[in-house]
Amino acid sequence: MINLAVSSQKGGVGKTTVSINLAHAFARAGVRTLLVDTDPQGSVGLSLTRQSRLLSGFYDFLQDPGIPLDRLIVPTRMETLALVASGQASDYEAGGGMGAHLARVRAFLRGAAARGFDICIIDTAAGLFGATGDVIASSDAIMIPQQAEPLGIRSVPKLLEGLNRLRIMNPRLTVLGVCLTMVQHELAESAQAAAALRQLLPAEMLFQTQVPRDPLFVRASARGLPVGALEGGAGVQAVFDSLRAEIEVKLQPGASSRANAG
Amino acid sequence: MDPLRSWLDAGEVQRLAARLIESVSDPAAPATMGEAGFDEGFVGFTGEGSAPAAPGPAASPLERHEPGHPVSAPPSASGPFLEKIRCFRDWMGREFAAAGVFILDREGAVIFHDGLDERFHVLARSLALASRRPGASTGNVHLKIGARIILEVIPVETACGCLVLGAVVPASLPPESVRTVREALAASASPASR
Ligand SMILES: Nc1ncnc2c1ncn2[C@@H]1O[C@H](COP(=O)(O)OP(=O)(O)OP(=O)(O)O)[C@@H](O)[C@H]1O
Ligand SMILES: [Mg+2]
Repeated sequence: MINLAVSSQKGGVGKTTVSINLAHAFARAGVRTLLVDTDPQGSVGLSLTRQSRLLSGFYDFLQDPGIPLDRLIVPTRMETLALVASGQASDYEAGGGMGAHLARVRAFLRGAAARGFDICIIDTAAGLFGATGDVIASSDAIMIPQQAEPLGIRSVPKLLEGLNRLRIMNPRLTVLGVCLTMVQHELAESAQAAAALRQLLPAEMLFQTQVPRDPLFVRASARGLPVGALEGGAGVQAVFDSLRAEIEVKLQPGASSRANAG
Repeated sequence: MDPLRSWLDAGEVQRLAARLIESVSDPAAPATMGEAGFDEGFVGFTGEGSAPAAPGPAASPLERHEPGHPVSAPPSASGPFLEKIRCFRDWMGREFAAAGVFILDREGAVIFHDGLDERFHVLARSLALASRRPGASTGNVHLKIGARIILEVIPVETACGCLVLGAVVPASLPPESVRTVREALAASASPASR
């Protein structure tokens, strides 16, 4: 199983939106997908299931790793898509040492792998510390949604520094790259910011696919659905199919060593 | 595009990005990893003027210790080696809120650990190596790993040779504390009972 963390330094950049829709895209392609919400604010669970506030989830497992994972994994209408809410317990920061939590995050992911999922997509809280740090330190890969606006791009050096630091703890972490979100081609600033990022980052660090700004996303999340499930959502769903395809290529064995050799 | 350039050091961004793309060598190969760790998260050599972040208010257990003010009696050095080291570990937990402690020998082999991820060992090994400077005695090094998570790496001359102590603590240790810890570990690792 591949563990893919969806994280960013900044909040509100579209992590949850990307996580949900990407998970849906993988699941539609027949990939057995587990979507895990590790944001204590709990938006994935909130949008995908009505009663998610009452669901036990990821943080309950961190508090008590004795909880069987089957009690946390919530099936969806799609056979290939299941999710884990963030849960009730959230005194993570206050808890003991870092080693203990790392071990529990890893135990959680091993448990998920043992249940036959092919990919685990992990929506994280903004920032690269705390629980998010432990998730990234336990993941195989990370992708970083980034809003296409000049101010957001200013945070890129900080983000890269943070990721370099996390790679010390997790040397096998593949950085899939930055994915531009809420892109508005018709808006000069948005297009410029996108172009600037393209110039700034090596090509391997930036996804070709961009997520356009579209009111459908807001509507979809209000109704607790991936956008592809909405009427008129097929076009936007295609964006996530393309993102999925890019990720599959990047995750192919040898992809990073190729980049390395070049 | 150009306005962006004026806020960002493009060269720096490219250097950081290039490092992320590189596949990091096997975690078992300390040398390369250490280099990475050393540049990025390196907070500073103590006593070199690069001030580590001030410990947070009240919560920091370190604040209980005024400079020069003695901490509670260091672990007594009686009993078999491992027992003494365990006492030392408990003492580190009590005095400095160390969440994890491990000790490497001069070859870098782990001679004691209490469950911390082994990547910390690799990191400590390379930090210790990297901090070795010709003609100078080896100083301690700390690496900020997260909010209130610092890996403190302290080389200690003992009767068993130079050991490298790694401890995960909430705030970097001030020089007096480092001295106390050094003495405590040296005593714990000494064959003679005191
Ligand atoms: N491509 C898009 N087009 C239009 N609206 C979007 C798009 N992506 C996200 N949004 C909206 O922007 C808001 C923030 O998105 P989202 O919750 O996905 O960000 P986040 O990074 O998960 O935030 P947080 O850091 O708070 O977890 C939401 O209201 C969402 O519906
Ligand atoms: Mg979110």
